[in-house]
Amino acid sequence: MPKVKIPRKSTAVDMTAMCDVAFLLLTFFILTTRFRPQEIAQINIPASTAQIPVPDKNIMSIQIDPKGNVYFGVDDQFTREKLLFAIKERFNLPAFNEKQVKEFKLVEIFGFPLEQMGQFLGTKPEERSKFPQPGIPISEEKNQLIDLILLARQANPELRIAIKADKLTSYEDVNAVIQTLQKQKVNKFNLITTGRSASSDKE
Amino acid sequence: MAEMIVADKGGKGGKKRAKKQSTRVDLTAMVDMAFLLLTFFILATTFNKPKAMEVNKPAKDENEKKEDLPAIKQSKTYNIMMGKNDMLYCYVGSDDDPNVKVDSTFFSRSGLRSLIKDRQRAVAQKWGNQDELFILIKPLPDSKFRNMVDVLDEMAITGVKRYAIIDDFNEIDELIIKQSGNRKPDAIKTANVVVPSSK
Repeated sequence: MPKVKIPRKSTAVDMTAMCDVAFLLLTFFILTTRFRPQEIAQINIPASTAQIPVPDKNIMSIQIDPKGNVYFGVDDQFTREKLLFAIKERFNLPAFNEKQVKEFKLVEIFGFPLEQMGQFLGTKPEERSKFPQPGIPISEEKNQLIDLILLARQANPELRIAIKADKLTSYEDVNAVIQTLQKQKVNKFNLITTGRSASSDKE
Repeated sequence: MAEMIVADKGGKGGKKRAKKQSTRVDLTAMVDMAFLLLTFFILATTFNKPKAMEVNKPAKDENEKKEDLPAIKQSKTYNIMMGKNDMLYCYVGSDDDPNVKVDSTFFSRSGLRSLIKDRQRAVAQKWGNQDELFILIKPLPDSKFRNMVDVLDEMAITGVKRYAIIDDFNEIDELIIKQSGNRKPDAIKTANVVVPSSK
């Protein structure tokens, strides 16, 4: 009789080891993960052999997509709040209510003429991805990026500037942003690139 | 719950056997959940962290006179222009000789890199130190951001200590622009000063 019972039990597999492995990996990923930031434009960054990692804190990021549209964002919520009030003052926008301020604190990156800020923060979060984001104006006649750089740096003087441009963005568009930065006496900035192994490339 | 299932399956064995097995918990659900979370974190994570390439542009000072800046001997320089379609135009300027040989090349080990290496050797031979070489990088408006990063990267790889990104062009450059079918940048954006980036 016992001989018959043993093969019957054998369908139950011991899950303990599998469970251990799963949780081990899970723990690893939880600890190492940094969430993918919001993306409003798809930007494929170029590769380089640069080894310096992008700092985690105090980043002002300026993104340029292949069409030359410029997007702007700062990383920390406190800075964002201060920036929003500064934008309101600078562009004489109507006052924002508490909910709108809260919403703006969650906006990682944006790209529209700043007059539309109230309208943007008024839209529901789920519809926000459809809000048109044609880029921040940086033409000679109307350059709002220059104001944003100044206001953001006033909100947080420790901000470092990272330019994230697509591989195929033309130099002209990148240069327009660089020139704007230089008008604000910013001569030091970082270009965001993805890593490429230096060893295989070096002779 | 686990006890119950075990008891049901091995029902024929009687109650004594069921009690013996009762310490075993069914882990299937737990494993399922762990893998679910694991999948989520794998997909949500960004793997290779982006790297930063630091660029120092010269401070712009409208009051500064250009004559104050020390001129660099042409024989120490090397000009690299980036045009459209990933093309590169490299040449060595000359102080007295109006004839200039222009190499058009691509980004590759046998292209740009070997040209830079040749130039480094030539400068080392003439001036005793290859670090005397000064590279003038002149991106044209139709070149891509990738080209700029690649050239700056090439500076790091070949160990060129002195280089600058320059936005104004001399007669030779203008001739190359015309011949290669590129266009010149709009006048407004060109005003810039020539100073090496420190690296």
